[in-house]
Amino acid sequence: MMIRCSGKSGPKAVVLGLDGVPFTLLREYARQGILPNLANILGHGFRLEQMDASTPEVSSTSWTSFMTGVNPGEHGIYGFMELQQGTYKMHFPNFADVQAPTIWNILGKNPSGKGSSLERRYRDAIKGTYRSVVLNVPQTYPAEPMHGVLTAGFVAPDLRKATYPEEAYQYLKSIGYVSDVDASKAISDTDVFLGDLSDALEKRRIAFEHFLEGNSWDLFIGTVTETDRLHHFFFDAAYDPGHPRHGAFLSLYKGLDDLIGCIYRKFMDRTDGDGLFMTLSDHGFSCIRREIYMNPWLKREGYLKTDPGRQYFEQVDHGTKAFALDPGRIYLNIEGKYPRGAVKPGDRKNVLNEITSGLMALEDGEGNKVMKEIRENEVLYSGPLKEKGPDLVCTPHDGYDLKGTLAKQEVMGKAHFTGMHTAHDAHCVLPGGLETAGRLHIEGLARHILDHFAST
Amino acid sequence: MDHLSSLENKSIYIIREAYYRFKNIAMLWSIGKDSTTMLWLCRKAFFGEIPFPLIHIDTGFKFPKMYEFRDEYAKKWGLNLIVGRNEEAIKAGIRCDNVQKLLCCTELKTNALRQIIATYGLEGIILGIRRDEHGIRAKERVFSPRDDNFKWNYEDQPAELWDQYKTTASEDNHFRVHPLLHWTELDIWKYIKREKIPITDLYFSKNGKRYRSIGCITCCSPIDSSARNVDEIIHELETTHTSERAGRAQDKEDAYTMQKLRSLGYM
Repeated sequence: MMIRCSGKSGPKAVVLGLDGVPFTLLREYARQGILPNLANILGHGFRLEQMDASTPEVSSTSWTSFMTGVNPGEHGIYGFMELQQGTYKMHFPNFADVQAPTIWNILGKNPSGKGSSLERRYRDAIKGTYRSVVLNVPQTYPAEPMHGVLTAGFVAPDLRKATYPEEAYQYLKSIGYVSDVDASKAISDTDVFLGDLSDALEKRRIAFEHFLEGNSWDLFIGTVTETDRLHHFFFDAAYDPGHPRHGAFLSLYKGLDDLIGCIYRKFMDRTDGDGLFMTLSDHGFSCIRREIYMNPWLKREGYLKTDPGRQYFEQVDHGTKAFALDPGRIYLNIEGKYPRGAVKPGDRKNVLNEITSGLMALEDGEGNKVMKEIRENEVLYSGPLKEKGPDLVCTPHDGYDLKGTLAKQEVMGKAHFTGMHTAHDAHCVLPGGLETAGRLHIEGLARHILDHFAST
Repeated sequence: MDHLSSLENKSIYIIREAYYRFKNIAMLWSIGKDSTTMLWLCRKAFFGEIPFPLIHIDTGFKFPKMYEFRDEYAKKWGLNLIVGRNEEAIKAGIRCDNVQKLLCCTELKTNALRQIIATYGLEGIILGIRRDEHGIRAKERVFSPRDDNFKWNYEDQPAELWDQYKTTASEDNHFRVHPLLHWTELDIWKYIKREKIPITDLYFSKNGKRYRSIGCITCCSPIDSSARNVDEIIHELETTHTSERAGRAQDKEDAYTMQKLRSLGYM
């Protein structure tokens, strides 16, 4: 086997993840001159495209789809929270639950030992052993040994456990790096929250530069998550110059543009422009008109019965036909699959059809339909873990934020959040000459990255 | 000297040393197997009469059997027992199922202990933690200073050479003393067997489940086990590889994750 040294020679790729940064916003801001560095990159042989996120369009699922290049039916991550098999107990899947190898593992001769359709496809095509630096990609906690450096992104309870190897943790700690800001301050202490966001972004930039300069790498992936946090609370400020936080919103984007420019220059220095440079987001964002509470709707329509004496999803009681998890995942309470299952496997299709037509008819009180489409498990997923997935996934029209909470009584409402994820407006910046087939989907990017290493 | 006797000797040395160095010291007794073993060692160190108080931090959510055990042996062994409860937080209704777990632990455990330390002016606290319990505990020292915010800076602590334990700290601080640091879970059970130390039967299997680590009812989950007595637990530990506190550590991470997700509008 040929072992490549991670020096100046050999293929190089730099990927910047910009969590929740919409295509539409980037295009508009670049046009308005708010993002000079991005505009400069786009003027030098790169194109900005709209991209589809994973289904559902949450960060844990979408980033996992990006880093493994396969669908949830293969990687097994359907959301930040799911129920333990055969129970109503909550489980928060982490990196150990990701069942497919990541691109950095495929490039690093796969120490994970996991297999996937993508891994089989590239196993022989990737000749060398390539070193990766992976910073702040969500759903990679706890860090596992790999060929390179990794510090995990959201959710990462302990920076030390989030980081491999130990020296990288020591460095991150020394610069006051944080894996996430405290979003609970966003409303109660807005100025502090906005300050924390820009500090966190600055630390991100310092760390990215440090590892780009000081560390040998073939693949570099750095993800910024401050944008997603900003959007959840202040997306209404994005296009509204009269919004009291519009200035703060632009200021974070200015910081983001500086980071993009800085990383791009480092990439050019290292590769003389002969590598692969890419930015992407895991989903888009739009403003919220209404929050839609899926479980109260299921209850109102008679599909869900709860026992308030129990906790969280243990509340699902006898007679329940379906319940929902964030954001729009609907699970049928099938006999034999769940302890208080009430849907006979033979009735599954009927119940799915009923719920689908009921939800498709749901209106917001002003005559607007809430749902754009509702798709079944069989249509969405393929692979050995598809059974683990939801029976239905609802995708709303922009503006209707689907929630899986059990704590609400009403079907619609509004909270302090102003931004919601969208599935259709993620973005990707990629070399103008890179051939892609049709509309981009986040699952497909891993192949372009691996092709870059396979072809050289 | 056999292994258990050598562990015992070292622990008794540390306990006596701590009592000698600090004017005002107390031992934390959680009623679990480790601190009950430590209580046994303290009784041995002072020939049956412990010259300092025992603190039980009571969150109000302990297993009823733990309270029974506590009261029975406090009486039998003539212990000077202080029960620490953060009454204000308990009155305010803080409990795991209506606030986040981390907040619950901080209020009902950490702050209750803080109040006791202040009330009794304690300079040292003896705790039954072991190095093999949890990754972070591997970095603990036998004598471990805490600052006035209860923070422990594990990267900035004095070296401990052989039996020369560092025991000076500024006035605001208190010292944590860990006489069981060098014991493993298996050592504890073997010693419990050798000494016939009484232990609450929550550790023994009923209907295929037993508690490997006990605390608040709300936060402890039993493990699958058929070990019905000390001998069977020893056998189980000799053939098992899962972590003793795995359930509890995961609980804390889950609590953190839930708090994070909530702040972004999930859950």
